[in-house]
Amino acid sequence: MALPGTQAVDVHRRNNVRISGNPGGRAIVFAHGFGCSQEVWRAVVPFFEARFRVVQFDHVGAGGSDTSAYDPGKYDSLHGYADDLLEILEAENLDDVVYVGHSVSAMIGVLASNRDASRFGALVLVGPSARYVNEGDYVGGFDQADIDGLLDSLDANYLGWSADMAPVMMGNPERPELGDDLTASFCTVDPAIARQFARVTFLSDNRRDLAEVTLPTLVLQCTDDVIAPLPVGHYVHTHVAGSEFVLLATTGHCPNLSGPSELANAIQAYLA
Amino acid sequence: MTGSELPAGRLSDESYEELYEHAPCGFLSVSLDGVVVRANETFLTWTGYARSDVVGAAFTSLLTPGSRLFYETRFVPVLRLDGEAREVSMELSRYDGTTLHVLTNSSLVTHDGTGMVRIAVFDSTERRTYERDLVTARRQAEESEARVRVLQDAASAFAQSNSVMAVAQALVDVSRVAFAATEVAVLLLKNAVALEVVAGVHPLLAHMPADTLESGSEALRLDDVFALSSVEEGEEFSPVVGAAMRLARIGAITSTPIESESGLFGVLTCSFGRGREFDSAYYGLSRALARQASQVIGRLLLQEQLASEALHDQLTGLANRALLQERMDESIAGALREKVPLAVLFVDLDGFKAVNDHLGHVVGDSALREVAGRLRESVRATDVVGRFGGDEFVIVCPESGEDAAMAVAERIRSSIARPLERVHSRFPVTASIGVALWEPGDDAVDADLLFRIADEAMYRCKNAGKDCITLVRV
Repeated sequence: MALPGTQAVDVHRRNNVRISGNPGGRAIVFAHGFGCSQEVWRAVVPFFEARFRVVQFDHVGAGGSDTSAYDPGKYDSLHGYADDLLEILEAENLDDVVYVGHSVSAMIGVLASNRDASRFGALVLVGPSARYVNEGDYVGGFDQADIDGLLDSLDANYLGWSADMAPVMMGNPERPELGDDLTASFCTVDPAIARQFARVTFLSDNRRDLAEVTLPTLVLQCTDDVIAPLPVGHYVHTHVAGSEFVLLATTGHCPNLSGPSELANAIQAYLA
Repeated sequence: MTGSELPAGRLSDESYEELYEHAPCGFLSVSLDGVVVRANETFLTWTGYARSDVVGAAFTSLLTPGSRLFYETRFVPVLRLDGEAREVSMELSRYDGTTLHVLTNSSLVTHDGTGMVRIAVFDSTERRTYERDLVTARRQAEESEARVRVLQDAASAFAQSNSVMAVAQALVDVSRVAFAATEVAVLLLKNAVALEVVAGVHPLLAHMPADTLESGSEALRLDDVFALSSVEEGEEFSPVVGAAMRLARIGAITSTPIESESGLFGVLTCSFGRGREFDSAYYGLSRALARQASQVIGRLLLQEQLASEALHDQLTGLANRALLQERMDESIAGALREKVPLAVLFVDLDGFKAVNDHLGHVVGDSALREVAGRLRESVRATDVVGRFGGDEFVIVCPESGEDAAMAVAERIRSSIARPLERVHSRFPVTASIGVALWEPGDDAVDADLLFRIADEAMYRCKNAGKDCITLVRV
């Protein structure tokens, strides 16, 4: 086993954990969804830095994470990502955490806090879906064939390129003015990992996990979100006992980009 | 051209309009909300929509569902953060329901104070088909290469394994990588009925009744790979298994028999963190890996059996003289090192010759096997029981003073004195037991000396009327 203390460093590096804001404030953790990196929170974070200790990280395979830590067996289900989240909270010794999970990270937060709620104070689920694929009476918004279509789309967009070239293609090395390493690694994803992450994200079924949530929970839903349409958000809200539901005016699936101030206000109003 | 003469190289507004509408690529302007506000003729011609269908509609409504997923999760963040997205492949859903593969370049611009996305659309049908074939071919090549590599890795790992445990561990390691499994375990038959995890982790066991593996051979009625693709399938198969899958956070599991010509002797289980469908490639590879491992395990088991046979008595399964000698040497060394006493018991059956002579060798052999069983039950876990020859047995008792040695000897004496199963009460069988007790001191001893002293003590019992114990201090 690693020596005491070394584990924290490893988790830090593995998930490219970044901490900013008020060191004495309540901890708020932002987790990005499928397709991007912690950079999606760029416009949201400034709203919290005065009052909160802001923690951001990349899932393994995204952004500045350590892709050599990618273990296909571990990350073949959302539980692997939930393990990482619990380790981050442990390594940073965070308590009473406000966890803000976007898209698939909403369910990662649900799984992690169901396993061990001790370090969590509240969950904010942004555009959550407990299951993307329709089944019986359940409306998830997509069919299995659509998920296959996404995998095709991933292929068309970067798996056609050689694996060595792809991360460069997806980053923006042609813009050296964005010199610092955070920006240089912006939104990069490893294509092979993205393919598996897409499967894990869109083929998971977490409906049963919702009933086990005991934390104060805010469900945030965008208008006209094709990834997580209204019935999907409602489903999460009605199955998480005591949760609060807020419909944001901003449209699409990424309120952290399309309406950062509205999103921040909704979270702050909930926590107030 | 009168009245609207323009300097050379300049175009009239009409010409710009013409160029925009009929450019050799589609143009779209989309609001930040994702609503199409303008589209050119080329785009409408390619997609078959009327202008009124497109303008005012959500851009995502023009995409196939798969492309829509990509657009929202990948394209939008890149465009928003970077200001542009180049050479993005999308699939448009045409008016007639067919799909148009396009490449797009998009940029985020500010126009009259509001943000806007401009998208240029290029028909890439041919290129897409070609690329897709290329990707498919490459993936097939990679998959078959990966399969060969897995089997090669397995073969070399197995070849380096010199014990059943090592092969099992290698099979776990190889399978975990090959199938991206969350946990892998190898279970082998411990005796005819019970299974035992010899390598890896079987996550369901912690959530199932403790005796699950005791009747594990049930599981080995498998004649092919057995798969549960979801928790629901697990529940249908057995409520216990379904509940265990839920508690262990396992969504799918497969069991592959490990078998040889002589039958099944184990199982390879792969557990997955979420439900998944298993295809023929999966079945084929898990069968191939299990077959490779079974050949090596079968050979090693045979070797272990042969080695064991060389050291054990065939009739009773007890240690033979060679193994007794070895254990004695170890025990003497241990006693010297730890400065603790050592006892050796010499057991000779009284009345056994009459059993053999009157009831025959078949009954005699069965009596010896029964006696061997009773000896095993009478000793402590650290004691070694061996057959010295005929109806003579030796028990080596490390770390035993007089009290402990006498207690073991008495348990043996009273146990043997009970009637034997197939032996008539006219032929009573009892035990004369000689005990040699040695406490490490100045005098050197060896195995032969201790055997001889115990043997002599046994003869004193015979002379004293049998069915008794004599202890001699060395």
